[in-house]
Amino acid sequence: MQKEEHPNRHKRQVVQGADMVLNEDQRWSLVDLLAKQTISAGTYKQTVWDVIGELTVKPLTGIPVAFAVLYAFWSVFGSFAGALCTDGFFVKFFDNHFLPWMQAIWPDPNSILYFLFVGDPLADNCFEAFGVLTSGLFIAIGVVLPAVLIFYLMMAILEDSGYLPRLAVLVDTLLHKMGLHGYAIVPTILGLGCNVPAITATRILETKKQRFIMMTLLAIFVPCGAQLGIMLEVIPESVGYVMLFLLIGYVVFGYLLSKIVPGTNPEILIDVPPYHMPQRANITKKLWMRTSGFIINAVPFVLLGVLFINLLYIGGVIQWLSDVFAPVFVHWFGVPKETAGPLIAAFLRKDLAVAQLSNIEMTQYQMISAVVLISIYFPCVATFVVMLKEGWKELLAAVGVLFAVAFIYGGIIHAIGILLGVA
Amino acid sequence: MNTEHNTAQIYIAALGLVTMILGLVDILVWIGFTGGIEFGIMGIAGDDFFRWAWGGLVVFLGGALMLSGCRNVGNIQEFSKVLLGAALVWTIAACDIFAMICENIPAGEEAPEFLNSFAGFVGGFAPPYAPAVILLPFTLVIAYFFYAWGFADES
Amino acid sequence: MSKKAAKILLVGNPNVGKSVIFNRLTGSDAVVSNYPGTTVDYTEGTFISGKQEYTVIDVPGAYSLEARDKAEEVAVRMLHEHRDATVVVVLDATRIERGLYIALETIEMGRSVLIALNMIDMAHDRKISVDDRKLQKLLGVPVVPLTAITGEGIMQLSDMIRKAQASDVKDILARAEGRASEPAQASGCAGC
Ligand SMILES: Nc1nc2c(ncn2[C@@H]2O[C@H](COP(=O)(O)OP(=O)(O)O)[C@@H](O)[C@H]2O)c(=O)[nH]1
Ligand SMILES: [Mg+2]
Repeated sequence: MQKEEHPNRHKRQVVQGADMVLNEDQRWSLVDLLAKQTISAGTYKQTVWDVIGELTVKPLTGIPVAFAVLYAFWSVFGSFAGALCTDGFFVKFFDNHFLPWMQAIWPDPNSILYFLFVGDPLADNCFEAFGVLTSGLFIAIGVVLPAVLIFYLMMAILEDSGYLPRLAVLVDTLLHKMGLHGYAIVPTILGLGCNVPAITATRILETKKQRFIMMTLLAIFVPCGAQLGIMLEVIPESVGYVMLFLLIGYVVFGYLLSKIVPGTNPEILIDVPPYHMPQRANITKKLWMRTSGFIINAVPFVLLGVLFINLLYIGGVIQWLSDVFAPVFVHWFGVPKETAGPLIAAFLRKDLAVAQLSNIEMTQYQMISAVVLISIYFPCVATFVVMLKEGWKELLAAVGVLFAVAFIYGGIIHAIGILLGVA
Repeated sequence: MNTEHNTAQIYIAALGLVTMILGLVDILVWIGFTGGIEFGIMGIAGDDFFRWAWGGLVVFLGGALMLSGCRNVGNIQEFSKVLLGAALVWTIAACDIFAMICENIPAGEEAPEFLNSFAGFVGGFAPPYAPAVILLPFTLVIAYFFYAWGFADES
Repeated sequence: MSKKAAKILLVGNPNVGKSVIFNRLTGSDAVVSNYPGTTVDYTEGTFISGKQEYTVIDVPGAYSLEARDKAEEVAVRMLHEHRDATVVVVLDATRIERGLYIALETIEMGRSVLIALNMIDMAHDRKISVDDRKLQKLLGVPVVPLTAITGEGIMQLSDMIRKAQASDVKDILARAEGRASEPAQASGCAGC
């Protein structure tokens, strides 16, 4: 698990191509011979950066650093996306200027089109209106875009600095107890930006078992940047509790899955690259690629999502679903039956679903439970599609696990609420 | 062991200790909910878990790192610990300052205009400051040592 | 272009700069990050050097061709699917041993190989020097030192691609053990 000369030395040869001439040991000794004759290392004086590089992977000094990094991540996220962009600018723009303007110029407040595109004619803010052009644009541009922008920026800096593999070494022992390898922290952190690249990143894990556990945990317990952004806006005082429930779920179900899922969890060596100063050109390129990808792919999705949900409302489908599932929602999960609507929306976009929740009357604990439910009950459609690409059998199994976990964990959260006397 | 290192060691030890105490106070105010304390230009609101409990813990650990490395600051291993400890304090302070900037650029929620006036923007930086921000100038001395003692020179 | 596009596979350990080289050569936007496992699927691009069009494939990082994880599986599959492709094995000059392993494996497969010795800047900073001429003689395939991140040596790399050649690992072993003298110009790395 540390830096080591020959990562493959103690590995069993899995495939030996027919055209291979040497066996593994012979090849390694040839490598040694070649290296000896071509490399000359001068006296290299260790720099402070090298020492700090080592300090960040040792538990005693590395854990404080990890705490500080996570702190900075969340703090910058909240200041930029929350205080500056959304609360400071977009809320004012959308609620005081854009919404009244839309309500004024769109003809006939009683028409279906008005309901679909502008929403509630009496609404005075863009969360309540819930029209495609009012709430849809506000959520996509006003809330989620700043959130993902700053998230992508910090993610790019983390990726390029070389800190991620160090974090992996640091949490290796812990994650091994969950049947995962330390490197699983990389997809997890990436998943906080967006689950889609995170699912692809699970390929770095060695065995089917590890990949399956990781993918399932990602789909269930890791909220994406868009969702975090909207949570920060809608329920700023409860985000911490939601994250706590998700984290507990991640650890507990990770542990259970590692016991249940057949397969092995071999040790692999993590290659720890040196720290680099992130390069401006590469950061801006990544930021631009990902942000434009978000605008092109996600924004239309949010708008269509609002349209789709509104159509379902008009068609009475959501009302019907709420009534059918009312017993489960009210008695098992302890949330209002109207949560059915947001849960449908969550399949399209989780950010949309959380925004929709803000319009339902409920207690703080119910809100926390509902947001956790939305996070865990099903991956969004984009995540679903990449999971499908990784193999449909795994996807089916993951979905099975997912429903079981959502059902059990939702009930447990309700029970905890009852015990604490807050549900 | 020269005298400059000796004085520096005392300075770093004292700074590390003060940093640890202030980090601890952050956490205690959060736990105790004394409604926040103010002490000169320093203020600890203690109202928010993330800022005061978590952030306070980072400050505390930063102080601990400085203290753990202060005995032999001429040594690169030990000095790196001190520098890392200072960096933790800088992180919290930088986040606080960034938060102030972000909060002061827009006009208040009630105001009709979008941008804050210049006076309003500057006024937003008035004290009280969190302990990490107050510690910032004192910990920057460690950055000075980093350059002055030649740790920054490439090989 | 009259000639058919020739294929090039960029192979090597994770995080040695394959994607940076790929972007430099083709002007593409493959994602570059400082952690192993950024590229887990392959990316294709093209460039032209000396009137010849090349299709370059940025292969996921692999420590060996034994396909132990999914990214390595992709790498092995790419090597088998593109039997006629020239293989550019990218080595990190600060830690060449691990890269040499997969380089030898590719040579043993009988592929036409060129070694790109990347991160020369970093090796220089760390006071590590790699004798690229010697390595070239020992391996019998061309070795091009470069610093992909600044673009230094990229031109030489693209010029040398057509000089990539196969080598025999038995000969390499003999030379490394000092049993055989340096290769005669004909049998060794012609034109290197
Ligand atoms: N110092 C230095 N860094 C490099 C060089 N080439 C690549 N890098 C860095 O090495 C890291 C890995 O590069 P990448 O192309 O993603 O590696 P890949 O996994 O082999 O595709 C990135 O942080 C690059 O910026 C180089 O020549 N010199
Ligand atoms: Mg790559």
